[in-house]
Amino acid sequence: MAADKSTKLLAKQLFKLSLVNGVVSPEQVTGVLGWIEKHSPRRPVALLKVYHHRIALELAKSRAEVEHAGPVGDATLRQIEAAMSKRYARIITASAKPNPKLLAGLRVRVGSDIYESSVAGQLASLSV
Amino acid sequence: MLPTLLAVTEAAEESGIVHQFGLEPKYVIMQVISFLILFGVLLKFGIKPTIATMEVRNQKISDGLKHAEETQARLAAAAQESAAIIKSAQHEAQKAIDEARKSAKEFGDKQQAEAIQRSADMLAKAQQSIELEHKKMLNEARGEIARLVVKTTEQVLAKKLSDADRAAFNDAATKELSTL
Repeated sequence: MAADKSTKLLAKQLFKLSLVNGVVSPEQVTGVLGWIEKHSPRRPVALLKVYHHRIALELAKSRAEVEHAGPVGDATLRQIEAAMSKRYARIITASAKPNPKLLAGLRVRVGSDIYESSVAGQLASLSV
Repeated sequence: MLPTLLAVTEAAEESGIVHQFGLEPKYVIMQVISFLILFGVLLKFGIKPTIATMEVRNQKISDGLKHAEETQARLAAAAQESAAIIKSAQHEAQKAIDEARKSAKEFGDKQQAEAIQRSADMLAKAQQSIELEHKKMLNEARGEIARLVVKTTEQVLAKKLSDADRAAFNDAATKELSTL
């Protein structure tokens, strides 16, 4: 069922309530979900879908997924967190994900942005 | 006339000639009168109508001749005019034929030029198409070769790179990404 305009507006307001200092707060999210359960607004499923989508997008913006081939230490992840937090002006948490296809190097995904420095990427650029 | 005749008769009687030839003056006079009457009748009902008819016929013949001459003159003029018209028509026809020939020649030349131009365009397009196809084929071959080289390099690197090499590359990548 597609969400109507009022449902989207309510989801947006609930999403704003879920942020603390521009960061998604688990306590606020829990409170919002409790409020939805208690008051059961119109079109609750559509409202929850829109709210979940916004929360997921926001969490993706504050999360850096670091794909790597070969060993990556905590120091490397901290260094990437610091660089991305500085770049996006918000706290970003890095998580490692092995990807042997890169051969060597890193690929960092923050939201819809991708930063890559890998052997596979350089070879791919040669074949174009 | 009658006094003259009487005078002549009297003179003949006096000379005795009348008696010698056995002539009677009264009969002669009657003859003369009869002749005159006959002459008058003939003159009135025969000669004059005949002369009038002849004059009319002469007039008609004269008119006919004159009309024939005029007709002949008109015929000559008409013949001359028709000759002039025929000559003019022949001239116009020749002119039209010349123009038609000229137009046909120009049209043929134009068609020939257009055909030559079209064939040249087609040839140029064909050459361009061949060149494009050649470039496309070269690009495809180049891409395929590059893809094979990259794939081979990937396979070699996957086997040859050690963890130490990857760690060193990861450190360099971290520095590179940190300075973006």
